[in-house]
Amino acid sequence: MSDEQMSAASEGAREYLTFKLGDEEYGIDILKVQEIRGYDAVTRIANAPEFIKGVINMRGIIVPIIDMRLKFNLGQVEYNEFTVVIILNLSGRILGLVVDGVSDVVALRRDQIQPAPDFGAVLDTAYIEGLVSLEGRMIIIVDIERLMTSHEMGLVDQTSATAA
Amino acid sequence: MAIDMSQFYQVFFEEAQENLATMEGLLLELDVEAPDLETLNAIFRAAHSIKGGAGTFGFNDMAEVTHVLETLLDRLRKQELTPTAEMIDAFLQAGDVLKLQLQAHQEGREYDELSKAALCERLERLAHGTSETGQAPASASPGEGLRRWRLCFDPAAIGRGAAEERRALFESLGELGTIADLGTDDQGRQVWRIETSSRRAAIEEILAFVCEPDQVLLEPEGSEDLIAHQPGASPGPGDWPSESRPRAEPALPAGAQPIQEGEGYGFFPDAPGAESLIDQEHEGFGFFGGSPGMDQLAQVARRARQDAEQGYGFFSAAPGAPPDPSPAPPSPKPVSRDGGAIPPQVPKRPAVTDSSIRVSVDKVDQLINLVGELVITHAMLADACANLDPVAHQRIMAGLSNLERNSRDLQEAVMSIRMMPISFVFNRFPRVVRDTAAALGKKVSLRLIGEDTELDKGLIERLADPLTHLVRNSIDHGIERPEVRLAAGKPETGEIILRASHRSGSVVVEVIDDGAGLNRDKILAKAARLGMPLPENPSDKEVWQLIFQPGFSTAEQITDISGRGVGMDVVRRNIEEMNGRVEIDSVAGRGTQITIRLPLTLAILDGLSVRMGTEIFILPLTVIHESIQPRPQQFKTVVGKGRVVQINDDYLPVVSLHQVFNSGLPEPGPSDCILVIVETGEGRAAIMVDELVAQHQVVIKSLETNYRRVEGISGATIMGDGRVAMILDVDALVRLNRRLG
Repeated sequence: MSDEQMSAASEGAREYLTFKLGDEEYGIDILKVQEIRGYDAVTRIANAPEFIKGVINMRGIIVPIIDMRLKFNLGQVEYNEFTVVIILNLSGRILGLVVDGVSDVVALRRDQIQPAPDFGAVLDTAYIEGLVSLEGRMIIIVDIERLMTSHEMGLVDQTSATAA
Repeated sequence: MAIDMSQFYQVFFEEAQENLATMEGLLLELDVEAPDLETLNAIFRAAHSIKGGAGTFGFNDMAEVTHVLETLLDRLRKQELTPTAEMIDAFLQAGDVLKLQLQAHQEGREYDELSKAALCERLERLAHGTSETGQAPASASPGEGLRRWRLCFDPAAIGRGAAEERRALFESLGELGTIADLGTDDQGRQVWRIETSSRRAAIEEILAFVCEPDQVLLEPEGSEDLIAHQPGASPGPGDWPSESRPRAEPALPAGAQPIQEGEGYGFFPDAPGAESLIDQEHEGFGFFGGSPGMDQLAQVARRARQDAEQGYGFFSAAPGAPPDPSPAPPSPKPVSRDGGAIPPQVPKRPAVTDSSIRVSVDKVDQLINLVGELVITHAMLADACANLDPVAHQRIMAGLSNLERNSRDLQEAVMSIRMMPISFVFNRFPRVVRDTAAALGKKVSLRLIGEDTELDKGLIERLADPLTHLVRNSIDHGIERPEVRLAAGKPETGEIILRASHRSGSVVVEVIDDGAGLNRDKILAKAARLGMPLPENPSDKEVWQLIFQPGFSTAEQITDISGRGVGMDVVRRNIEEMNGRVEIDSVAGRGTQITIRLPLTLAILDGLSVRMGTEIFILPLTVIHESIQPRPQQFKTVVGKGRVVQINDDYLPVVSLHQVFNSGLPEPGPSDCILVIVETGEGRAAIMVDELVAQHQVVIKSLETNYRRVEGISGATIMGDGRVAMILDVDALVRLNRRLG
């Protein structure tokens, strides 16, 4: 971690995990990330949308795996030994996200995140916290919890979503 | 980093509740005429533990009440006061206030101050008001003279060397009288001198908070201050002067008199027997003591009291002894600490703590999950060893089969923790039946059979609602009015039987009534009116199943009890959610029998694994009727109704897994496939699979924990190779299939 990032961390900044989906780089709150693992032994769920690849057994926990590239029609979808799954823990609900690759962990202050314009990303802006420009790269900061529990994803029963 | 104290609140609440219950029990047991010193001590300790805990967690109102309570109790146990009935009342009242305060804190609100203030005042008045009445018992007399104690200890051994703890100890001891620090002696030990009127036990009790009793040498100093120990001549000082306490028997004063019961010649409030109690107390002394020591103490105290009643209660430290006891003949039967003479007695009431512990359901569930993991791990190992030569790897194989047996035993033992007798549900029904019958003007008696049948706690809780529905339905629709019954030649009073039993790995609960039975024609007519799909020439079973359809009710009159047509479909759904099934048998004029079959537990299932393409699914063994390899000519197609298969004389709907689950693969040919005949809520059906794989015991995992419900799937499990397999829900499959067809 560079000195600049260290000082940022000490000023109450939050850390974000950045990953690539196609040509875009996204960042999510690292506190929501439980672990990162390879893509392996996925069991298909019958009649599920295509972007829900299925479920895996993660030390006895049944974890659904979502391929964001399929959901947002991004890039080539291929599964090999380099495919990475980010395991998220969203308020106790665990799910895995297939991404093209994990790039970095960055510490960002609130004021470094600019509000997102109404276009430019494949995601609905409702789920975008903002944009960050870092060393010439643009990182889209996503409110992953809100996105994953949205009706659009269909990951949660409607009833339990409203009850929660 | 600040420690979040709230995570320990629950522990405090539980401890405090336990202590309050102990306190109340002991208070009620306490005989005001002849109070037992150990009981008083136990009450004091309970109050003290609550105070300590409440103070630590910042519940100051509770600490305040317990503090006043403790002050009074302290004077009582030091025998500076004699207990009165009024005091006991005040103590019980204090216990009630504490309970309410505790409840308030648990719910996160403050308890009202008024009753607390009134109570504190009452307790304080009791603590101070009556102390001058001169009723001080004889045994308090040794306490009147100040005595010096010399306290030696190794500073490193106490309080793990923390200077603060020593200072706190120093200050607490100072409260007993005056204390002086004499510095360290030649062996490097810290020496304190205490001048106090309190007895040895009081000092030891304070010490017990910071150290083991044997770490401290406590000896009287300056023999001129001591009242000499003169057996038989005068009452003992109540404190054995040295660490090496004499055994009870040799130490008994030669002229000790037998103590008539209830009169309480309490010569030796701290006689050897009592000392032994204190020793035991040290073992189990702690702030959060629902401690074993307490239990022991209470038992010893009880025994001592029983001894007292038998007339040789030497050590029942009874206050109120006559001020001038006369010498007496030798004891007929001295009681020694070593216990031979203490007669075994049946306790007068159950032990203070019973033999069960309170454990949160989460912990049990975690245990069940872990056992589930163990079962899976075993399956993985067995899978990995499947290709090994059993002869060459005999030891591995033997180990594996041991592991299997042990994990199965462990699984059963863990499961049994969650098992509860079904009487928890059944017990509510006498009332339900009485009220319902009274509301409808019917006469109904209820018979419960097999209330001891055990099943999973989770199932018991979820069984209550459906059963209530069924019982009310039986009374409303089943049992006829008394005059109708008499006219039909039946006894005036109808009977409902609730029966539970274990049958081949499942629990069967039956609701049986001797009422009118279901009316086939009426149901059929109603179904036709509602436009429900009806098979031609339906069997009775198929007709009865119609009443589980949503919106179905044949009651002529809608009552408060039933008839709105919301009952039975909810009943069936609830039971299917528990992986159970409902069946109805009915004979017109004779009655109806509703049978609910439930798995023993929600956690583990016996299943058959079947293959579809490359995917493995699990079929619950309980639904499987048989498996067949069909001949192509058995298959028929019905226009608009999909495929059926002819088995014996029945035509069963065919559910192809490939079709319902859109496998994208071609279905196997009619002669290559396997048909598994299953029982569903709507009769039998044939499930078409590629292959039967094996029979397993699988651990049920919910898909809904991290995902959502999937139609046709009741859950998931983890197979021996670590992959996830779906558990099929045959009823939902049949429904899915019908929608496709």
